[in-house]
Amino acid sequence: TLDKIIYCCYLNIQVFDEQGKDVTPRPLYRPEPNASLHKQSKILSTQDFSGATGSDFLSSLSTHQTSGINASLVGPFSRTYGSSSISKSTISTTESMADEIVEPGSRRDTAISLSDVQVRRDEIREQLTKEDIDRRVDIYLTETETIWLLDMPTVMVSVESEDAEKLQERNKIYIELCKNKAGNDCFVERMMQTLNGAPKNKEMQCDKILMEDKGMMATSWDLYDSFNALETTLTSSITERSKSIASSSIIDLESVILARIHEEEEDHSEAILKSEKFQQDLFFMERVLMENVFQPKLAAYRQLPEEGEEGEEEEEEEEEQKETAVSSSILLDLSEAQEEILPPSLERLWSYTCEWSDGHNVSSMAWNKLNPDLLAVGYGQFGFKEQKKGLACCWSLKNPMWPERIYQCDHGVTALDFSLANPNLLAVGMYNGTVAVYNVQTHNTTAVLDSSESFDKHIGPVWQVKWIEQDRGTTGDDKGEILISVSADGRITKWLIRKGLGCTDLMKLKRTASERKKLTGEKKSEALISRQAPGMCFDFHPRDTNIYLAGTEEGHIHKCSCSYNEQFLETYRAHKGPVYKIAWNPFSTDMFLSCSADWSIILWRQDSVRPILTFSSTTNVVHDIMWSPKSAFVFAAVNEGQVEIWDLSVSTLDPLIVTFPNPGVKFTTVLFARNTDCILIGDSNGTVSVYELRNMIASDSNKV
Amino acid sequence: AEVEETLKRIQAHKGVIGTIVVNAEGIPIRTTLDNSTTVQYAGLLHQLTMKARSTVRDIDPQNDLTFLRIRSKKHEIMVAPDKEYLLIVIQNPCE
Repeated sequence: TLDKIIYCCYLNIQVFDEQGKDVTPRPLYRPEPNASLHKQSKILSTQDFSGATGSDFLSSLSTHQTSGINASLVGPFSRTYGSSSISKSTISTTESMADEIVEPGSRRDTAISLSDVQVRRDEIREQLTKEDIDRRVDIYLTETETIWLLDMPTVMVSVESEDAEKLQERNKIYIELCKNKAGNDCFVERMMQTLNGAPKNKEMQCDKILMEDKGMMATSWDLYDSFNALETTLTSSITERSKSIASSSIIDLESVILARIHEEEEDHSEAILKSEKFQQDLFFMERVLMENVFQPKLAAYRQLPEEGEEGEEEEEEEEEQKETAVSSSILLDLSEAQEEILPPSLERLWSYTCEWSDGHNVSSMAWNKLNPDLLAVGYGQFGFKEQKKGLACCWSLKNPMWPERIYQCDHGVTALDFSLANPNLLAVGMYNGTVAVYNVQTHNTTAVLDSSESFDKHIGPVWQVKWIEQDRGTTGDDKGEILISVSADGRITKWLIRKGLGCTDLMKLKRTASERKKLTGEKKSEALISRQAPGMCFDFHPRDTNIYLAGTEEGHIHKCSCSYNEQFLETYRAHKGPVYKIAWNPFSTDMFLSCSADWSIILWRQDSVRPILTFSSTTNVVHDIMWSPKSAFVFAAVNEGQVEIWDLSVSTLDPLIVTFPNPGVKFTTVLFARNTDCILIGDSNGTVSVYELRNMIASDSNKV
Repeated sequence: AEVEETLKRIQAHKGVIGTIVVNAEGIPIRTTLDNSTTVQYAGLLHQLTMKARSTVRDIDPQNDLTFLRIRSKKHEIMVAPDKEYLLIVIQNPCE
């Protein structure tokens, strides 16, 4: 059975309402100090406990219990508790509530004296501290005894039960009574009228209830954003708190935010313009614009089929085949078919030019080894009298109107090359002999390395630079890349990047005596101004990087080796003027080509001192030659008046294609594109034009 | 400075009809068109960009819109959106 009786100490507790009136409810009855078992137990949880806290309550419960704390008991208690808080001021209601609860409670036994309760409650009061309230109270839930809340006894009894007869008797008596009631004197009916109070209407007015519609958008990204934002604020607030006291940090944060907002409002527009993101966006926008303008040309560069043209070409081919298949004796048909084959031609796509490069002479071009769309172009004058400040630009395919990088140089740029091992390094050779290395990754426009302070720097213009991969097994270093340059002071030097640019000479180009034998006794000898011949160009063997060819101003070509720096292995003499360029054939590596100011291009074989073939088609200085990377027979030559594409499989006397520049402009350099059939031609006005080679019959065989 | 240069180059580019830079509130910072046109473009494109961005992110919340191009019969409108601004360029691509 439940033994839960709480007697309150009426004497100690007082309740005051808002005005301070003492509204301590007077108890319904005063229990005797020696409460008997049948005393009505009052579960007074109402107003007397309004002052006490919940845990106070519970702790008091715990001390009185005879069985464990039952939170279930708090159930009916809390109900009354709640109800009591509502009806605090009215005494009657609470009392009635208490009365109701008393009903079930009355069946319980009570056996605690008031004095005991009083004492115990006092004790409890003193022991309670703040920490008691805060401390965790363990609540054990167990099943309670069944609490009778409502008991409606049945009004129906089975006929077969024990009491049935008695009940039937009683029923009969009752019916008899009802019958007798009608005219009996014992029963009198009387009516009464009650006074009804007059009803009164009362009207109330309240503030208008404002209704507002609010719409929210719940998209998946909104949820994702809020979630992430919450996480970041949590982490940031945690870090903030860990540094200082919680309250002060919040204040700081707020003030900082306020300050920042204020600043933002002021600088907003400027900040946007200066932000990096804006710069990037502008950069992309420019490229997109370029793409729009140049799209067909770029597509042609990439050899994407243009719409409409493909169909035409197919038709042409079909016609040809049909013609030839019909009959071979019908020459007329054949000639017709032939006419439809378009001759190979150069078609101009676009040109790289900008206001910076206008007026400069293009002196050299080089592709980036890693990104075949990045082109470096050097601008510098060739002649001594025309010297002015030079320029090196990096152009990207995506923006033909503005270079990605512009490097200004004090002297004209005469040679360029991209490194293979570090594709972001660009080596630049200048007219005053300086060799500089730039890092194209950064936007920094100063050179990473510069040779102007090194001891053995070149004194004459650097006519060619190249990065070569070399085995340096003998010296103990790993296979690495070295920079080699040739200059007009007659030295081929190897540059090492070690705390600045240090160099060692690979070869000094000595003037060689002419073939005429000198008589031993002759005292007359050629008076040489310098013992060294200015070097104009060089090229390393594509397979064996120890062997290289060097061309000089005298017209001699020397074959040298990196292992010997005193002697030439071989000398090829045929040119009568300075050799401007040498190129090994990339496919049949025994052959090489050289071009010179004596209007001729000579094809040599490695083992023969005599030239194999000489091409001279014009009376102009040939500035540049290059083998095609696709075919062993094709090479391009640039002289001042025209660009020639030679195909040795077709003809060795005439070039295949000849293109003329705009009047007043001279061509100076040529470069084949590696991944497409295009050729780049630089001219003396600072323009690099991209031409597409059309209708070239591809032939991949190596020359015999 | 570089920003100014690039902006000038874009404005002077072949076929470019107008360039507009608007901040997040719709106030134009830089424009080469007249005020009414600018405001109209800014307002309309702002809404379209929001919708486009919402679409992209609904499909994958970790994705975001980087560039928007609208090609019409007469010209092409290119929008580079950002949280704080909108860069709009109108170009007539073919001659």
